[in-house]
Amino acid sequence: MMHKGSKTRSGRVSTAAVLALIFFAFGSLVRASAPPQEPEQRADIIMIDDLKAFGDLERPAVPFLHSKHTEAVEKQNQDCKTCHIETEKGLSYKFKRTADADKATAMQIYHDECIACHKSTAESGREAGPVACGDCHRQNDKMNLVSNWQAIDLDSSLHYRHVKANDKKCELCHHEYDKDAKKLFYAKGKEGACVYCHQAQSVENRISNRLASHQACITCHRQRLAQNRSAGPVNCLGCHDPVEQQMIEKVTDVPRLERNQPDVVLVKSAHQPSTPNDLMGRMQSVPFDHKAHERYNNSCKVCHHAALDACVSCHSLEGQKEGNFIKLERAMHILDKNASCVGCHSRQQAAAECAGCHKSIPQQVPMPEDTCRVCHRGLVPRDLAPLDADMRTMIAGELLQSRPRVSGTYAEEDIPEKVAIKTLVDQFDAVSLPHRKIVLKLAQNIKENPLAGYFHRDPGTLCQGCHHRSPESLKPPACNSCHGTVREIKEADKPILTAAYHQQCMSCHQAMGIQKPDSRDCTACHKKRING
Amino acid sequence: MSISRRKFLGWMSAAGTATLIGRRSQAATTHHFEGYPGSMGVLHDITRCIGCRRCEAACNKVNELPPPEKPFDDLSVLDKQRRTHAGAYTVVNRHEIDGVAGSAVFNKKQCNHCLEPACASVCFVRAFSKTPKGPVIYNESVCVGCRYCMIACPFEIPAYTYDDPLTPRVTKCTMCYPRLQKGLLPGCVDSCPTEALVFGQRDHLIKLARQRIEKYPDKYIDHIYGEREMGGTSWLYISGVPFESLGMRMDLGVTPAPDLTAGALGAVPMVVGLWPVLLTGIYAVSQRKEKIAAEEQAAAVSQAVTQAEAEASAKLAAAKQKAETEKQAAIEKEVKKALAEAVKAQEEAAKARQVEAEAEPKAPATDPEPN
Amino acid sequence: MSDTVAKVDRHLFSPFNIVAGLIVIMGGVLTVLRFKGGLATVTNLSDYNPWGIWIGFDLLVGVALAAGGYVTSAAVYLFGMKKLHGAVRPAILTGFLGYALVVLALHYDVGRPWRLPYPFIMQSGTTSLLFEVAACVALYLTVLFVEFSPAALEWLGLKRARSLVVKLTILLTIFGVVLSTLHQSSLGALFLIAPSKLHPLWYSSYLPVYFFITSIIAGLSMVIFEGSLSHRYFADKMDAQHLAEKDTLALSFGKAAAFVLAGYFMIKMIGVAASDNWHYLATGYGAWFLVEMLGFVALPAFLYAVGVRERNVKLIRVTAAWTVLGIIVNRFNICLVAFNYRLPSAERYFPHWMEIGISVFIVTVGLILFKFIVTRMPILYEHPDYESH
Repeated sequence: MMHKGSKTRSGRVSTAAVLALIFFAFGSLVRASAPPQEPEQRADIIMIDDLKAFGDLERPAVPFLHSKHTEAVEKQNQDCKTCHIETEKGLSYKFKRTADADKATAMQIYHDECIACHKSTAESGREAGPVACGDCHRQNDKMNLVSNWQAIDLDSSLHYRHVKANDKKCELCHHEYDKDAKKLFYAKGKEGACVYCHQAQSVENRISNRLASHQACITCHRQRLAQNRSAGPVNCLGCHDPVEQQMIEKVTDVPRLERNQPDVVLVKSAHQPSTPNDLMGRMQSVPFDHKAHERYNNSCKVCHHAALDACVSCHSLEGQKEGNFIKLERAMHILDKNASCVGCHSRQQAAAECAGCHKSIPQQVPMPEDTCRVCHRGLVPRDLAPLDADMRTMIAGELLQSRPRVSGTYAEEDIPEKVAIKTLVDQFDAVSLPHRKIVLKLAQNIKENPLAGYFHRDPGTLCQGCHHRSPESLKPPACNSCHGTVREIKEADKPILTAAYHQQCMSCHQAMGIQKPDSRDCTACHKKRING
Repeated sequence: MSISRRKFLGWMSAAGTATLIGRRSQAATTHHFEGYPGSMGVLHDITRCIGCRRCEAACNKVNELPPPEKPFDDLSVLDKQRRTHAGAYTVVNRHEIDGVAGSAVFNKKQCNHCLEPACASVCFVRAFSKTPKGPVIYNESVCVGCRYCMIACPFEIPAYTYDDPLTPRVTKCTMCYPRLQKGLLPGCVDSCPTEALVFGQRDHLIKLARQRIEKYPDKYIDHIYGEREMGGTSWLYISGVPFESLGMRMDLGVTPAPDLTAGALGAVPMVVGLWPVLLTGIYAVSQRKEKIAAEEQAAAVSQAVTQAEAEASAKLAAAKQKAETEKQAAIEKEVKKALAEAVKAQEEAAKARQVEAEAEPKAPATDPEPN
Repeated sequence: MSDTVAKVDRHLFSPFNIVAGLIVIMGGVLTVLRFKGGLATVTNLSDYNPWGIWIGFDLLVGVALAAGGYVTSAAVYLFGMKKLHGAVRPAILTGFLGYALVVLALHYDVGRPWRLPYPFIMQSGTTSLLFEVAACVALYLTVLFVEFSPAALEWLGLKRARSLVVKLTILLTIFGVVLSTLHQSSLGALFLIAPSKLHPLWYSSYLPVYFFITSIIAGLSMVIFEGSLSHRYFADKMDAQHLAEKDTLALSFGKAAAFVLAGYFMIKMIGVAASDNWHYLATGYGAWFLVEMLGFVALPAFLYAVGVRERNVKLIRVTAAWTVLGIIVNRFNICLVAFNYRLPSAERYFPHWMEIGISVFIVTVGLILFKFIVTRMPILYEHPDYESH
């Protein structure tokens, strides 16, 4: 028996439920289908999280767009002092304060100043920033901002431009710190890179690299701009935006830095110990052309990564705290760091002129013993100990002069001009390999490269690029000496002759960036047999 | 209808015996299949692939497949990503890495001949089987064409000849199983000009791959694809670029496909064993409830009846008693009446006699008794 | 009721017959095309999408909606709900026709349908859940046939056979529930093999449980729904008891369905929690998942409950139809929508009109058979020669 009243009521209830559902479904579908926007890339994002020094943050750090604000301030014909207090040392790079006393005050400054300015800007009818809590303290994943901030390196070119602009007045930038007097002072002959002292984080009163560079660089640039002289950038983007960085003028021929550095050095393989006996059984020292190496890198910091001193002053044989417990041997030989000799040298092998052969040469760790002698040619430390500095320098110079260097390969007439590869004639005709042309081109590459010359100790070394796994020889073995034509499952890593040829040629071409012949264009190397 | 105990026990033992048939369930073991010993595989070194498509041509020739639309030396087909399809057991694809022009990397795609293949696990006629030699092969003569294998394959390899109305079949790489039986190499391996494909024992190939990665750490990503993916495959890959950028999924996990359904399959004998007990129990309970309800009703009815009867007989007795009493009373009344009448009659008789006596000479009254 | 079948005013060229006839003709044509040209001619199936609506609808939905058979017979014979006795035969008939049509549909979908018995007679792939489905469906079809046969035997007047079969009822019912549990859950378990292809909100190791529970929901709702249709179109074939039971069925099954739907909602949410998949709810697929859960599970649970409490049979019937739609949505989601969710839209599947045509044809055949049987055999009424079982 149907009750009319209940029918209406349940009808209403169900209608309401259905409507609610439809709204919800529609709403969620619309929201979910909104396409994600491309994140904006900016180099001027500063995450305001200073209060981290006082404990865990209650709210997410605020992403602050500095350039946006400087542009806005400039439009109002104002300058940095709108937000940064001028002290006698220059601008304080904190926001409207010189130091952070406590959490509450700092927070209050941020809140009061930021929000007040935003409010007044909005009242004047201009586009203003947020005033609500959540609009500044935004969660990271909803920000749609991606930082493309790039660190700027004061390489030798940029350094030289500064030297020139300041008439070689090193004292304007370089300083040391007197702990007792608690003062900065200039020490001539001890100039070093900023990062040697100013690290990533501020430690007591040694400010971080970030603060130091901003204080030093921007203050000076501002001063010069105030004097209507040419100066570097004063805003974030000028130094840190990738595009703007590219536009910084590069000096090609940078004159040598004047820091009383040696031309040649006999690199010790052990620090001067307390007793002579400790020098027993050490590696031969290494004659090192310092002057030449200055040109190979665009900054001293590549090798002198922590101080303009000899490596062994921090990296002792057994490892010590100053050297981060990196032992001398490792510091010199580690493969994946540019500051290491071997590391940098092995990186050179990746250059296009070298990669053709070197990409196929397997990495050997540890390196073959016969390559040690290329560098370790000097006297052992025990014999060096009694010699004075000038003597050692002289020995280093002589050793460098006398270092054997093979700047080529065998005589041209000894290199077969064309090699006919005809052992596999089947679908294709024989290949007429322009053997001499290739060898001479590779030899040319070595000739211009002293490093290659030192390590290619034999004229036949170059040949081993293709004639591998055989001793150097004027008449090295042909490929079919070892590569057969029948695949042997047990010799899975030795390709058959066809594949050996193809791998060798194609991988070399690819590594050297040679576009023609295209690997897949079979007829570029061998004509197709019509009856094949 | 109720079941006899005998019947019940009979069904239970039948169900139980049925569950004993079959192999041990793998669901809850620590057993891990490492492949048949000495089983073969292929190592694909993606850094060596130049995208010449000779492997595709060889595969087509060796398997006597129909010629494709565009010939195999037409490299423009690489402009689009392709998958295996009815006429192609394997395809080569080109990938531009991170949109860098000229950074083309090529790789070959085909059945990976998994150690524990999903296709073999899901085929309900066992049309697929993993051979001890390594290849996963397909038996067309029993295939019903349900295409569950295509659903199951995580690498999306099996294709189907949808165009064929009466003899459609699943198509996929066979690792040239017939050729392997004859001691030959798979067609693609044999034809690769740069030996980007190497055939050998799977464990040797893994060692070889590891060696290559160790010798050229800058050249290779430190991962052998197929070593553990989906429980391990017989076709292994090493690459110089991330596998994801080559369309090879890195999120497939290491669980072999059959383990994914082992739990569900294991539940079947449980249901077969327990459900009849449960349902019979429910039936028995509901029957019992009905029976009890019936009994209670019957008891109530009989009680009511008895009560009614008792009442009735009591009533009857009472009525009888009443009747009896009334009868007695009536009889007494009649007796009284009769006696009264008798007395009256006697009195009248006496009176009459008196009258008579008076009428006669004085006769001595011999009856001095009065009435 | 009179002991002669009432002569009904049913014309040969009634609207239903005409439309059904046209569909049957179309079906015949499409059948020829299918077997002449192969699957490529009549379907949009591809190597990426081997299963289309013939599996998604005809198999998955068909089996789910035919679950009314085991649910009703279990309710009446095992749980002792005698007042629903009149619902058993229609439910069994729907079940029987449903499963028979599933088998018919498979003949279209499978590449070589004449090989369908192969898993049983040639090689058995017992590691496959599809084997399990096939075996249980085959057995269950037999069970349903036997459960249905008393009606036919009564119609044919074979009294002894009929009484013999009727004695098997409890056994068949138990067997039917066992088989149904197995194959309903195994249809869900089919997708366990493809975690990389099914969207995480729908893929779960609980898939077999979900499919089994939704089959109960489907069965309950389908019986109510189809009961309401029968009362509308075949009221003249019903006896007094059936007509009187009109509302009882809706109320009892509606109540059961409310509970089961609520339970199902809970276990689905538990499944999402167990895999920590909440974050997917904020995506497009997540929104659709919520539509399925809230609109087709939570809402009907609620509406059923309201309907039962208010004794609003019309609401229950509408909810039943809506729930049936929800089951279709659920099966489609798992088989077609959330499956291959990672593929670019160019590779996604949409059925060919001919596939839809065949499915419509199969459903129409089912309706025709249903009508034929119901108008002749004692389904909606009790045959006077036989006392009620």
